[in-house]
Amino acid sequence: MTDAKLPAKTPRALVLASALLPVLLLAGILYLLFARGTGLYLEAPAPIEKLEFERVVLEPGLIRVHVINTGPETLTLAQAQVGWISRASWEFEVAPSATIPRLGRAVVRIPYPWTPGEPYEIVLITANNLIFSHEIEMAAETPAPDRRMLGAFALLGVYVGVIPVFLGILWLPFLRSLPREWYFFFLSLTAGLLVFLGVDALEDALENAERVPGPFQGVAVILIGLSISLLGLYAITGWLKRRRQAKESSTALLLAYSIAFGIGVHNLGEGLAIGGAYALGEFATSFLLIVGFMVHNLTEGVAVVAPIVRSAFRWQNLIWLGLLAGGPTIAGTLLGAFAYTALWAVLFLAVGAGAVFQVVIEITRYQVRQAGAGSLVSGWSLAGFALGLAVMYVTGLFVTV
Amino acid sequence: MSTKRIFLVGLILLPVAAGTLLFAPGRRAADRNAAAGRAQAVADAHARHLPPTKGSGLYQYSPPGGRRFDPSRVYDPAPPPPGRAPNGIREYTLVIEEDVPHEVAPGVAVPAWTFNRTVPGPVLRATEGETLRITLVNKGTLPHTIHFHGIHPATMDGVFELVPPGGQFIYEFVARPFGIMPYHCHSMPTSQHIHNGLYGMVIIDPKEGRKPMRELAFVMSAFDLDRDGEADFYAWNGRAFQYADNPIELVRGEPVRLYVMNIFEEAMVPHLHGTLYRLYPSGTSLTPSEYTDVKTLNIAERAMLEFQYDFPGDYMFQCHVTEHMEQGLMGWFRVKDKADVARHAAH
Repeated sequence: MTDAKLPAKTPRALVLASALLPVLLLAGILYLLFARGTGLYLEAPAPIEKLEFERVVLEPGLIRVHVINTGPETLTLAQAQVGWISRASWEFEVAPSATIPRLGRAVVRIPYPWTPGEPYEIVLITANNLIFSHEIEMAAETPAPDRRMLGAFALLGVYVGVIPVFLGILWLPFLRSLPREWYFFFLSLTAGLLVFLGVDALEDALENAERVPGPFQGVAVILIGLSISLLGLYAITGWLKRRRQAKESSTALLLAYSIAFGIGVHNLGEGLAIGGAYALGEFATSFLLIVGFMVHNLTEGVAVVAPIVRSAFRWQNLIWLGLLAGGPTIAGTLLGAFAYTALWAVLFLAVGAGAVFQVVIEITRYQVRQAGAGSLVSGWSLAGFALGLAVMYVTGLFVTV
Repeated sequence: MSTKRIFLVGLILLPVAAGTLLFAPGRRAADRNAAAGRAQAVADAHARHLPPTKGSGLYQYSPPGGRRFDPSRVYDPAPPPPGRAPNGIREYTLVIEEDVPHEVAPGVAVPAWTFNRTVPGPVLRATEGETLRITLVNKGTLPHTIHFHGIHPATMDGVFELVPPGGQFIYEFVARPFGIMPYHCHSMPTSQHIHNGLYGMVIIDPKEGRKPMRELAFVMSAFDLDRDGEADFYAWNGRAFQYADNPIELVRGEPVRLYVMNIFEEAMVPHLHGTLYRLYPSGTSLTPSEYTDVKTLNIAERAMLEFQYDFPGDYMFQCHVTEHMEQGLMGWFRVKDKADVARHAAH
């Protein structure tokens, strides 16, 4: 149908009515369904209840379980058991209420004298006889947000995020001394690193998405986070470029900042995942793992400064770039350790992945502008890209748990 | 360039140095404090879970809001008294219903299949040689039977002759031998019919009678809520922890006779604290076989125990399979001096 076939001028009221008609009809049908029933008579043969464990906190003599009702109906917690070799009924308290509405949350306090290093199973039984359980693989006291633990997690963020980025930035003088061909080599290397990082972040996001309570649709959150950062960054950098009228050096600096931002968001997500894994008792901060992260993330510093190797800039920019790329790790480990929810980890990992992919697009366009489309398939660029992937893969061996 | 480099190196080292200085020295003391705090907290938690001092009402589970089993729902542990029917015929009517809500633990009700709306069914009693006449009324939707242990004709064995929904049947036989005999539905699948609650105890007294004393009857069973092959609650007389909520009062020095039966598919070990019992296996003998405080009752095995308490106070009685105990097979005897009991009665 084309516009020409429509009446030249449809009255506005009619347009409005045609827009509202389906909505009004739906409301009417829903009203009838509520009033009269669906006529389907498909009662579930058993009550459908779903309870998910969002966070388990172990304090001396106390197990605190944060749960969310993700089922279609209100449910009531009637009994609690703690399994060690066998299960034992245990006293418990629920706040605010043992009756939890759909998508409502509750905290179950079980004064159980757990001992460190032992495995436990938390069992909650509803008034409809449904049983929900959560396994603690190895009991350890959950870090309380006191000065010592806050300091430790901030330091962890510094180790795995800030230090490696700045160490990478320290290669700048060396990079500056290299001939022009190497510049494209390192730009491509950066692109390789970032592609790897982006895929890595997506994988982490998908892994964490499995822990997101069903109704919050972890995979959809990945899609949303990815799209928002890809399109949002595209719009922002475009706008900034138009404002600055594309002076060559400022474009390079802008690209550096884009990379730093993308890596920063990625590191926030990575920090959340590390802190969260620790909080869930699935991560041991071993020396080797920290070293692994440092080596792995060293390359991020190279990525940040690669675009500005051949341009002039004020040296303070290096500090801001480093902080922008590495600093968010600290926020991530802290938030992850003390307020981990899978949903936020998924969102930030996805936003990080989107940002990183957007930056890869920017780098590619920049390189094409600088040296022509042919430069992308030059030996220098291909070698750089391949080396970028290889470096990430090899250093990644140290952080795979 | 070199000043910049120094600055950058400094920038990196500063947080590391600061972190090390701030957090490292206090660490050992903090660890020690944490360990001491943990030990204290564990001790506190233990203290809270010890069997109750008088009137504290604390034990190893407590439903939200302190909800306990309503005393009116507690299964009466006293069996019917011994004796003889005037005409020599003991008559009972057992009505089977399905999906009767049965609270196995406070707040957790299962759809039980019941004799006379209780799990276990009522304790039946007769003296050896009397005629037992038991009318089964099937108000359920499935065929059911009652199968009795004991000596009787094949037609009274309650296996092949199903009683259809809405039907009824009269089982009649001479009660023998004396002892503790289980009864349960034998419709197939029998596992389901028994597990869902269709079981109970028959006490057959010897003709010459036994020495009169305070009597208790316990059926040990369990409930598997999610049908995964592992029971979720175990119980004395059908409700987890019911005699912990409502302790059974005994009088110091008073002899007690306990009829106990295991109807679940796992061995159970009735164990009394603070005393030992004279054991009469299956209750089929007039003389005890053993003086002990643990006896493994295998599947459908039963025993008669006689004991008394020499000291007042609260005593746990439990299944010595700790898993069973922790999922409901525990209760208290509250032993009082006779004078205290009399004073209480006067009030």
